[in-house]
Amino acid sequence: MSYIEFNNVVKRFGDNTVLDHISFGIEKGDLVTLLGPSGCGKSTLLRCLSGLERVTEGTIVLNGRDITNVPASKRNIGMVFQQYSLFPNMTVEQNVAFGLKMQKAPADEIENKVKEAIAMVELTGKEKAYPASLSGGQQQRAALARSIVTEPDVLLLDEPLSAIDAKLRKALQSRIREINQELGLTSIFVTHDQDEAMVMSDVIQLFHNGRIEQAGSPVEVYTRPVSEFAASFIGSYNLLSADEFGRLTGDRVASGNVVAIRPETVGISAERPAGEEAYVLEARVKSSTPRGNVLRYEVVANGIQLRVDTLFRSFHLFDDGAHVFIELPRHACLQIPVGVARAA
Amino acid sequence: MSAKTKAAAPGQKTPLAAKIFLALVALYLLIPFATTLIYSLFIEWTDVLPSGFTLRNYAELFGNMTFWASIGRTLVLCLVSVVITIALLLLAMYVVVAVNRRLGRFMQFVCMIPYALQGVILSIGIISLYTGTGTVLSNRMMMLFGAYTILVLPYIYQGIRNALNAIDAQMLIQAAEMLGCGRFRAYVQVVLPNILSGILVSSLLAESIVFGDFVLANNIAGTNYQNIQVFLQANMARSSGLSSAIVVVIFLVVGAVTAAVLKLQQSSARKA
Amino acid sequence: MAVSVETQAPAVSSASAAGAVAAAPVAGAQTGSEPAAAERAKRPQKRRGWTGYLPFLPFLAVVIGYELLPLAQLVGNAFIGKESEAFGLENFIKVFTTPLYQQSIVNSLWISVVSALVGIVVAFLAARFAYESSPRVRNAFTLVLNMMSNFSGVPLAFAFMILMGNSGVLTLLGQQWGIPFLADFDLYTGEGLLVLYIYFQIPLATLLLLPAFSGIKKEWREAATILKATTFDYWFKIVIPNLMPSILGTLSVLFSNALAAYATAYAVVMNNYALLPLQITSKFKGDVQIDNATGGALAVVLILLMVACTLINNYFTKRASKGREIV
Repeated sequence: MSYIEFNNVVKRFGDNTVLDHISFGIEKGDLVTLLGPSGCGKSTLLRCLSGLERVTEGTIVLNGRDITNVPASKRNIGMVFQQYSLFPNMTVEQNVAFGLKMQKAPADEIENKVKEAIAMVELTGKEKAYPASLSGGQQQRAALARSIVTEPDVLLLDEPLSAIDAKLRKALQSRIREINQELGLTSIFVTHDQDEAMVMSDVIQLFHNGRIEQAGSPVEVYTRPVSEFAASFIGSYNLLSADEFGRLTGDRVASGNVVAIRPETVGISAERPAGEEAYVLEARVKSSTPRGNVLRYEVVANGIQLRVDTLFRSFHLFDDGAHVFIELPRHACLQIPVGVARAA
Repeated sequence: MSAKTKAAAPGQKTPLAAKIFLALVALYLLIPFATTLIYSLFIEWTDVLPSGFTLRNYAELFGNMTFWASIGRTLVLCLVSVVITIALLLLAMYVVVAVNRRLGRFMQFVCMIPYALQGVILSIGIISLYTGTGTVLSNRMMMLFGAYTILVLPYIYQGIRNALNAIDAQMLIQAAEMLGCGRFRAYVQVVLPNILSGILVSSLLAESIVFGDFVLANNIAGTNYQNIQVFLQANMARSSGLSSAIVVVIFLVVGAVTAAVLKLQQSSARKA
Repeated sequence: MAVSVETQAPAVSSASAAGAVAAAPVAGAQTGSEPAAAERAKRPQKRRGWTGYLPFLPFLAVVIGYELLPLAQLVGNAFIGKESEAFGLENFIKVFTTPLYQQSIVNSLWISVVSALVGIVVAFLAARFAYESSPRVRNAFTLVLNMMSNFSGVPLAFAFMILMGNSGVLTLLGQQWGIPFLADFDLYTGEGLLVLYIYFQIPLATLLLLPAFSGIKKEWREAATILKATTFDYWFKIVIPNLMPSILGTLSVLFSNALAAYATAYAVVMNNYALLPLQITSKFKGDVQIDNATGGALAVVLILLMVACTLINNYFTKRASKGREIV
């Protein structure tokens, strides 16, 4: 029995099925990311757990209690929204205290907890500020403080950082992760940004068309995509059809399958490498693009174009048109059944 | 209105033709009231210039209890009907915002109908339906309050809707709900304080509409419950001196409300 | 840290030989077809209670009682013949064949159309000049418009009476100075009313048109000049076509404003002039016998005209805002 359990959760808006029999569990203290493109149902699932949306079918269990029909205000779940949701007529302090006042906590307890929560999100000094005078990042910090101060059973974060610029976002990502670990607060984070998911999560649930495409740790999801969609959404896999893979390597795979190869697993060199347990192929460099600390080559081997990533060191740079050898480790050629892309 | 029209830059000179034309239009618009104002302050005006400055029209007016009674009735009508409309709409909008969004279209439709009805149709519809039914509904006051409530519906509805949209009321309610607050309580505690200033402008506008109404008051209540406009109409043939003073008073009251509306709109436009 | 899913998190064997990579389990993270879950899933959802709708009821009651029902019964009366008491168009036939009612409709349309047209022309020029003026002049002018747009109805009628009535200030001056237009002006006729109607149309029309002028870009004029357009071309080929949706929308507002105006006309001519609102009201109220049937039919005619105006205005308002987006 997991801390949170989704059992066959279905959500329909009219004829549109947004969640299609979702079932999985979340362990206490984990930070779980619901990852997927927009419209995949990840936010809807979060809102079903929060109680702001009601499920069409199925049940949701939190800490052994069936909360499927419990109103949002009685679930003891904290939530940070995508848009800035602070109450404009209240100061930061009043916003943070709001939930405790709803619980009718004693005044001194409210004061202490509010102070603590504001310190935790590093907003000390802004207690008396109104939301309108805060930056987007500060507003989301205040919203975070407001949602953790009531000591909820779960913290839900619905793309809270999407409107915040990149640098502040990094800082807030680690702040959220730290809070999750310091408080042992089970947290569910919705995002469409795979990097964000990789950095923050214990577990990633990859969503596609209202179903879970793949679940696992960031490393598992990154290194072992189970479907064409997973491979195309995460990392920048080279995806080859069985036919293309055959032309490239001469080996055959089941015709219904595709082969996914991560660009950084492919070796590139001027000399023919030894190539044990690997395909070694002659190739020609078509172009190269520096991407920060990675240099990406587009190479063509046996008429098939591949992306190859190498660390951007000053030596071993190949010009466009250069003849090179590429080395594809056999274990890095992941064979994925095509049909996994489920009925859309 | 003025905040939206940014054309010529501050330092720009006004062309002469523009000055002349605008002055003529302004003059044309001001003359009737100016004449009334002068008329109310003088005993006689049969030559180019009036003669015999006097405040006696005002003294007479302010000493007239019927005048004060009609002012009192008008204020009661203004305040009560606008407050009723605000209360009805705030309650109904709670349902739209927090329970069922789809009711919003129905509300909008219903609230815009009075635009097309205007006072004449509204008043005769109500009197022909309720007069002589012998129930509490045939009470003239009941009919009048009902009619005014409907008359100001479009204005207050738009004010409330815009204010709710401006703060994303639905989101605030959801945020409060997640903090253990019931929806209705969230609406009252979190949404209402944030939209009150937005409602103020449209309420003032509605007040000036009720204050300036003649059709509903005359058709529904007539002499049974004389408001200031009906009082003016009843006195017009009797004493033009007194009537001119009434016109000036009405204009000043409505003008003050309008000035307040403009002031509020400007300050909110500056904030935005 | 664990993923508890009903099927094992899928894995692809990495040790297998080239090309023959072990096929990953096709199933995704969840299949969820165990009978118990299906049973649970079928449980009907508890609906949010009807109590949530309670706050809507007072509004609904008032709107039904004072807007929808009165309107419905008015329309209903119109279709029940006055003589025959049968459902039909009898009242409408009567309305369109009785000279007095014909005249009322014609007069109402005439005064509305003329006052709207005059109003829009003056307003167009005024808005144009205000747009070209310095903010100080423009704000002062807008203030006058806002203030004087409230000067309507009975007070306006009264002001015009002391100005141009039988012994009005201007009338007397006209007699003294021998200006026939002023001396012989008769406020208590259709033409007299028209002057009043035009008066209250002008501030409204200008206030409605002013925002449209702010949509005109300075660059248009510059571009037009570079392309060798004359001032005439600029105004008639660029500005006016661009303002057309706003102009037509404003026209429809003015038209309906005049059509439904009652207080001004009543204060001046009482019921002694054939106008639609005056005729309708006199059928329901006043000295003569109450006549729901004819009054209802006249009211329906007015309602239809008003609805047409509202629809036209909505159409042009949408067009105007769309146009501005493109610009």
